[in-house]
Amino acid sequence: MTDFYNYDEFIPEKFEQWLRFDQSPALGKKIENFSLWDLDGNKTSLVDILDQSQFTVVEFGSFT
Amino acid sequence: MNKIADDFSSENIGSFFIYTNEAHPGENYPHLTSIGQKVTHAKALRDILGVKRPILLDVLDGPCHRYFGSMPNMTWIFNRSGIPVYKSDWTDANSVRNSLEYLLDVVKRRKAGVRLAPFTVERLDYRESDRVAFYKRLAENGPKAVEEFRKAFGE
Repeated sequence: MTDFYNYDEFIPEKFEQWLRFDQSPALGKKIENFSLWDLDGNKTSLVDILDQSQFTVVEFGSFT
Repeated sequence: MNKIADDFSSENIGSFFIYTNEAHPGENYPHLTSIGQKVTHAKALRDILGVKRPILLDVLDGPCHRYFGSMPNMTWIFNRSGIPVYKSDWTDANSVRNSLEYLLDVVKRRKAGVRLAPFTVERLDYRESDRVAFYKRLAENGPKAVEEFRKAFGE
């Protein structure tokens, strides 16, 4: 899984399988929780960070 | 997006960035093979590209990213209960700002005693598409990233 998800080439055979926004969670339904870490290695969770504010904007992305 | 975080922080709006897989791996920023490398790339996102919001890391095979659809640069807005109230398969500051202003107005109307019921709306939003800037950014990843993108989309 790790190798496939972290594809080494931007070719359709390797990246298209991951573009599944149409299968993403529905609006208005509670989501699953996930462990996350800050850049100092401190562990938190998605639910914990969402609980800090009345609304939370979460952007996903990378350097590239 | 940094400006949105600044502009709305006083309204109790949080902003985070979750680091994913590399969308366009190149010689300078190759695909991820370790958490240490992921941390290094995330720090470059902060220090070189200037993302000022707190950056959080998923584990290496990205279960959080995959759960939300694995798009390379998407944005979601959640309420405090962990319920998504906005999702966009691409990040656009104008679209996010528009949604936050709407959501804050909902809060205001509820406080004023208006009874509101949720419903779902789909809308096609529009973002600026600057190909020159995009290719310049892509080149920072390395020539491989540029070449693969051109091949993938026949450009």
